Amino acid sequence: MTDAAGRVQELSDAGLRALESARTESDLLEVKGRYFGKKGAISEILKTVASLPVEEKKRIGAAANEARAALESAFDAKLSRIREQERVAREGKERVDVTLPGRAPAAGRRHPVSRTMGEIIATFQRLGFSVRGGPEIEKDYYNFEALNIPKDHPARDMQDTFYIDGMGGDLVLRTHTSPIQIRTMEAMRPPVRVIAPGAVYRCDSDVTHSPMFHQVEGFAVDRSATMADLKGLLTEFCRMMFGPELPLRFRPSYFPFTEPSAEVDIRCVICRGAGCRVCKTSGWLEILGCGMIDPSVFGFVGYDPETYTGFAFGMGVERIAMLRHGISDIRLLFENDLRFLSQFQP
Amino acid sequence: MKIIYSWLKEFIGTGLSAAQAQDALTMAGVEVSSCRFLGEGMEDVVVAKILAQGRHPNADKLSLCRVTDGSAEYGIVCGAKNMKPGDVVALARTGAKLPNGVEIRKAKIRGEVSEGMLCSEMELGLSEESAGILILPAETPLGKPLADAIGLSDWLLEVEITPNRGDCLSVLGVAREIAAITGEKIRLPAISLRESGPTIASLATVTVTDWGLCPRYSARAITGVKIAPSPDWMQRRLSLCGIRPINNIVDITNYLLLEVGQPMHAFDLDRLAGRSIDVRRSGVPRKFVTLDGAERDILPEMLLIWDGEGPVAVAGVMGGQNTEVLPDTGRVLFESAHFSPASIRWTSRRLGLSSESSYRFERGVNPGMTMYAADRAVSLLSRFASFETARGTIDVGGERDFSRTVGFRPARAGRIIGRDCTETECKAVFSRLDFPVEGDGPGRLSVTVPPHRFDIEREIDLVEEVARLTGYDKIPVTYPESGAPEFSPDDRFAKVLEDASEFLRGQGFTQAINFAFVSEKEWERHKALLGFDASDAIRLSNPISDDTTMMRPSLLMGMLHNVASNVRRFIEDVRLFEVGKAFGKSLADGHYEEPRLAFVLYGNRLPGDWGGGQAAVDFYDAKGVAESLHGFLGAIPVHFVPASSRPYLESGKSADILKDGQTIGWVGAVRRELVSALDIPGAVFYGEIRIGAAAAVTPPPAQYRPVPKFPPVSRDVACILPAHVPVGDVLAMVSELSPEIESASVFDIYMGEKIGEGNKSVAFRVKIQPSDRTLTDAEVHSIHTKIVKLLENRFGGKIRTS
Ligand SMILES: [Zn+2]
Repeated sequence: MTDAAGRVQELSDAGLRALESARTESDLLEVKGRYFGKKGAISEILKTVASLPVEEKKRIGAAANEARAALESAFDAKLSRIREQERVAREGKERVDVTLPGRAPAAGRRHPVSRTMGEIIATFQRLGFSVRGGPEIEKDYYNFEALNIPKDHPARDMQDTFYIDGMGGDLVLRTHTSPIQIRTMEAMRPPVRVIAPGAVYRCDSDVTHSPMFHQVEGFAVDRSATMADLKGLLTEFCRMMFGPELPLRFRPSYFPFTEPSAEVDIRCVICRGAGCRVCKTSGWLEILGCGMIDPSVFGFVGYDPETYTGFAFGMGVERIAMLRHGISDIRLLFENDLRFLSQFQP
Repeated sequence: MKIIYSWLKEFIGTGLSAAQAQDALTMAGVEVSSCRFLGEGMEDVVVAKILAQGRHPNADKLSLCRVTDGSAEYGIVCGAKNMKPGDVVALARTGAKLPNGVEIRKAKIRGEVSEGMLCSEMELGLSEESAGILILPAETPLGKPLADAIGLSDWLLEVEITPNRGDCLSVLGVAREIAAITGEKIRLPAISLRESGPTIASLATVTVTDWGLCPRYSARAITGVKIAPSPDWMQRRLSLCGIRPINNIVDITNYLLLEVGQPMHAFDLDRLAGRSIDVRRSGVPRKFVTLDGAERDILPEMLLIWDGEGPVAVAGVMGGQNTEVLPDTGRVLFESAHFSPASIRWTSRRLGLSSESSYRFERGVNPGMTMYAADRAVSLLSRFASFETARGTIDVGGERDFSRTVGFRPARAGRIIGRDCTETECKAVFSRLDFPVEGDGPGRLSVTVPPHRFDIEREIDLVEEVARLTGYDKIPVTYPESGAPEFSPDDRFAKVLEDASEFLRGQGFTQAINFAFVSEKEWERHKALLGFDASDAIRLSNPISDDTTMMRPSLLMGMLHNVASNVRRFIEDVRLFEVGKAFGKSLADGHYEEPRLAFVLYGNRLPGDWGGGQAAVDFYDAKGVAESLHGFLGAIPVHFVPASSRPYLESGKSADILKDGQTIGWVGAVRRELVSALDIPGAVFYGEIRIGAAAAVTPPPAQYRPVPKFPPVSRDVACILPAHVPVGDVLAMVSELSPEIESASVFDIYMGEKIGEGNKSVAFRVKIQPSDRTLTDAEVHSIHTKIVKLLENRFGGKIRTS
């Protein structure tokens, strides 16, 4: 049968076969153009049947539409198959090794002392304290005299001092950041609430002492500052630094510029109180000293001790950093060995 | 200071165990850092007797001993020399673990088997030094555990005394402290004296010329005494407390020093010229030989004890060799005096001589106790030595009342502590302290402070007593009233440092912290390279080592050493930064110091990169860090100009950083000579920023400009310029040519034969971005022409067309 309907059927079969064997998207488009595009073979047949009777035209037209629909759907199916194959092939070719390092500068690390100091400062800033600095080369007056540590007083033995050669003979490397108390109070009237971080120096060097180390000093003066407030403030601080569960205790002690004075101990973070080498079997670790500012210090700065009361506290940053990171030799902190420093997350 | 618990119990019949006493004292401010049971580690140490002693065949310094513990015999190799057959000794049998940590095992020593060890007092924790092994009294029963045999069911407390509590530097002082805590009562040992000799006045006279420095001088004299060792129990107590036993006379003075805290001195009365004592300053500089045999340089102000001819002691510090007690001494004058703390401290410091006596006098010795101590010494001595006690005493200043009255308001205590303190509660504390109290008007008390409490002179001192003896755990926890928050310039500076550190860490820099003191020798050695000016140096007068003699003039050397040491440790890429101060006499504000931020780069551009980052760092990496750091901190604009006076940087590869015309830093390649002097194998780039100046001004908030609505146009211009033309200047001028030019940048630079010696080819890209319209071709062309003209006329450029 060579009538038009038969031709349509043949073309449809041939088109389907051609689609089936197409390999690429352009093969596919070529097949489409040849068989069932606007100028394809099936369209051409429809042009030739214009002279036939209506019934016949309808029959052939229906057959052509059916064939075209079948081809279109085969085309779509094949097209998406080819595209999928091409995608898989491309992705396979362009695959990266996701385990190779990314391209960025390796992040540097913050020094554990600086990190700890930053946290201490931030904690007290949240508690309403503002930062004040002061010179590291300090006058004897600020480092000792005005802090109630006169010359030839046994309390000077508590701190081995570096003296500056010449230059008036009156300069030392500050042994604590407490001189900032005096400098601040000279410059301001109460209320004051200040945190004073910085490097300090003592003539001492072993596994737990470094000739240079860092301290954070804090103090507050107001009409109603009390030891109870001091206890509250430092309890809060220790919770923030060491976690809310760690027990702490306030123990009487002595500092020339505070009275009454206290030492704050936390439960040993190494042995949890059972006793170990770090806490010298006591189960407690000294982490800061504090007390009510001595009235004679107020005398040096012209505050009236009957009107104002104040408290002060100070802590060694290295000691806290060493406890937190399990570092046993303070000297490691000043060797700047990258194999050491890179152990601490930024 | 060491306190023997059984000794303490002689002064207070406390119900506290040694461990409880440790805790109670610590929580009252007298820290007891350790409490050691003396019998610990003695389980396998027994009393034994040496049967025979022979030489070790293979070692001259060792001997072989046969010893018995009464039931078995042992062969022991021993290194000591002080024993002989028949001596009773302490034998540590195998398995013993001694107080000093040594474990005793059966061992071959130079070929001979040793089945234990003969112990010294030091090894047994009974003294801090010992010359040989412990020899026990001959009658000590063999085989008995040593702890039982010599009474070691006792505890040794290590007490840390703060400088204000000199009154606690004795058994009595610590006992008083326990009394103040528990309310238990002190009992002083009774004195039993039989005065039988001549009157003391007939034996010696005492004058105190400088009574201001010696408010009280008490003395007792004895005659017909025989110098001998003191009894074992006394020697043991002295040894345990770290004092070497000498003889009965010296030991009794030391015993009283430990017991009641009264330093005493024993003079050989027959060697005191004129048998007279005076207490007065030296008056002139002189030499004087102290007991330890050292010749001391005495200054005129120093207080001395004199006999009829000259000085016999440095008062309160150390006696003189000329009058010390010798084996043939028969008559002794016991000095028990009080000297002013400041004078003793001054003398002790100037002489560089600290003794148990001076340590106590500096911190305050009870002037009310001198006579009791002298009486107690003689009374106790009479229990184990025979002598005659001279009738009467010498007691210059003994009539004085050394107590003080201090006013006290319970309400004031409450205001300091932060809780109500009732009068009753405060009185109870003073009663436990044995401070008599009287009313002194409403809300006021008058408290009598006994002379041993040197530290209590003011109301606040009494407040402290109330606070600590009612317990710090009783202080409530409250929170300070919140004042108005204040944000200081230093808060801002702290934030700048935080931000800078954050930024640098993001760039791969790790933070270093170096000592602020450096070796002046090293700076001096590289003087020219470092541009070091010795006259500007700040030096320590007492450096801790040769490497830490001078305050650093710059952070440079610390960081270079950091690079060198890391390279030595096989680290290939070093990026470090440090924030710290530089010091110099010429630095501002009278403080001689300035905060700096320094950074150093060494190695590859992108450490760890497997692609293109393996090129070595160069100047532009370092400059890039400095540039973007300033940008990050808002410290812009900054300008880089060739560095003029930084000898430690390569002159062709370094720049000063300017902001508002002021030099705020410098960056560049470290001079090759310096790098190789430190054995660093490659180029090092360094920057140092005067971070205070850089951060001085808070940048104002950025102001909004409308974002462009019209497309930008880019024009590329390639130009051959003389090599010396600073491209930065070109870019700056191009940017200024027309308001439509948004930016000018460089995207390629070429130098080479093709363009001729002394030239460089620079490719510029100019971004033109009008804010209100699309540019016409004619406008763009006109701008392009201006650029070309500028390059040609101003910079001698030749436009490349290709
Ligand atoms: Zn522990």
